[in-house]
Amino acid sequence: MSEDVKIVEETKVPSGATLIFGFPDVGLVGLIAASHLVDELRLTEVAYVDSTLLPPLIVLHEGLPHSSMRIFANHDILLAVSEVPIPTDMIYPIMDALIEWGRSKSVKMMISLSGIPIQDRQDATELKAFAAASSPEALKTAKDSGVEVLMEGYMVGPQAVVLQRASKYGSPALALLAQCFYNYPDPEAAAEVLKSLVKVTGVKVDVAKLLEKGEEVRLRARDVMKRTQQEMSKMKKGQEYDIPMYVS
Amino acid sequence: MPEKKKRRSFNVVDEYFGEIEEWAERMDETLAQKPSWNLKDCTMEPLREINMTATEVVVTVDLPLTEESAVQVRPTDNSLEISAKMRRKLHLHELGISYHRGEIQKFHCHIRIPVPVNMDRMSIKYKKGMLEVHMPRKR
Repeated sequence: MSEDVKIVEETKVPSGATLIFGFPDVGLVGLIAASHLVDELRLTEVAYVDSTLLPPLIVLHEGLPHSSMRIFANHDILLAVSEVPIPTDMIYPIMDALIEWGRSKSVKMMISLSGIPIQDRQDATELKAFAAASSPEALKTAKDSGVEVLMEGYMVGPQAVVLQRASKYGSPALALLAQCFYNYPDPEAAAEVLKSLVKVTGVKVDVAKLLEKGEEVRLRARDVMKRTQQEMSKMKKGQEYDIPMYVS
Repeated sequence: MPEKKKRRSFNVVDEYFGEIEEWAERMDETLAQKPSWNLKDCTMEPLREINMTATEVVVTVDLPLTEESAVQVRPTDNSLEISAKMRRKLHLHELGISYHRGEIQKFHCHIRIPVPVNMDRMSIKYKKGMLEVHMPRKR
């Protein structure tokens, strides 16, 4: 594991679980979905990321400090969440450390939850979710679960690193991406990506409450969205809109 | 133009754009350092975006917890003033802010339109708390 990034375990961490990532990105889909998962599945904090590479920032809860990047769990799910956007330069070292840690816990699959921005999102009545995978076998898991495959395109951000590294190590990984707003917090897209997570993993998650409190989520998430916009522009996230030119 | 002189001109242009980019980044960071809410007038700045096509400028504004009837869009020469009263007052502690007392009652912002538009032909759409203002560009 990178010396600059440490995963500090606070309690026993289950082995053989599914490792899910929910980080601030387009529409804050991953973060909103992760936050709902913590509530719905009553996940508890089991570890946190400690790194001098991250900005000097803590999250206060009831007067006590917490890392902005934490791992929550129950017996079969590990969920890595960041409450602030990962600085672009830190994405590789942080994700490498998390992936390596996940492999040391023999995770059965890694799944990134995120979004794929679409034009005229406000006119979309039904949102779709797509999957991309680290291997043909992982892709088959998504297809067999009824999740449409993202056939071509560019992917930018933590989920790109997860697929790239998992492919290199031969570990199964998926990126689940729901159609979403680019610059606005999108709880409906978060609900959609959770529905595809349910299909793939069989975990039981009710998204009704998330949709019900959607407007309040949008309001509370506005400042994180603003900070995330700045990081997305630094990492050239807009490249995901580009017409791909795949060289075969 | 001689090759050497041409290269020098390109360098000057590159430097110029580099400086503009740095300035924009600094401005962005400076602007982000103030809170998005104002307790004096109980307002919050909404998230918004401007998109330009060849024929129109489209402004979108995220206005959760509002109704269409409470949204006001006031055009001026080259800007829009947007305000929208929320369905209910929001206490700061509901937003996780415990070091201040106060409440937010509405969204409010000014948006500068970067190119000439026909404000009198502006059209407005509102759906699920998302406002969309279309303004045809002047030819």
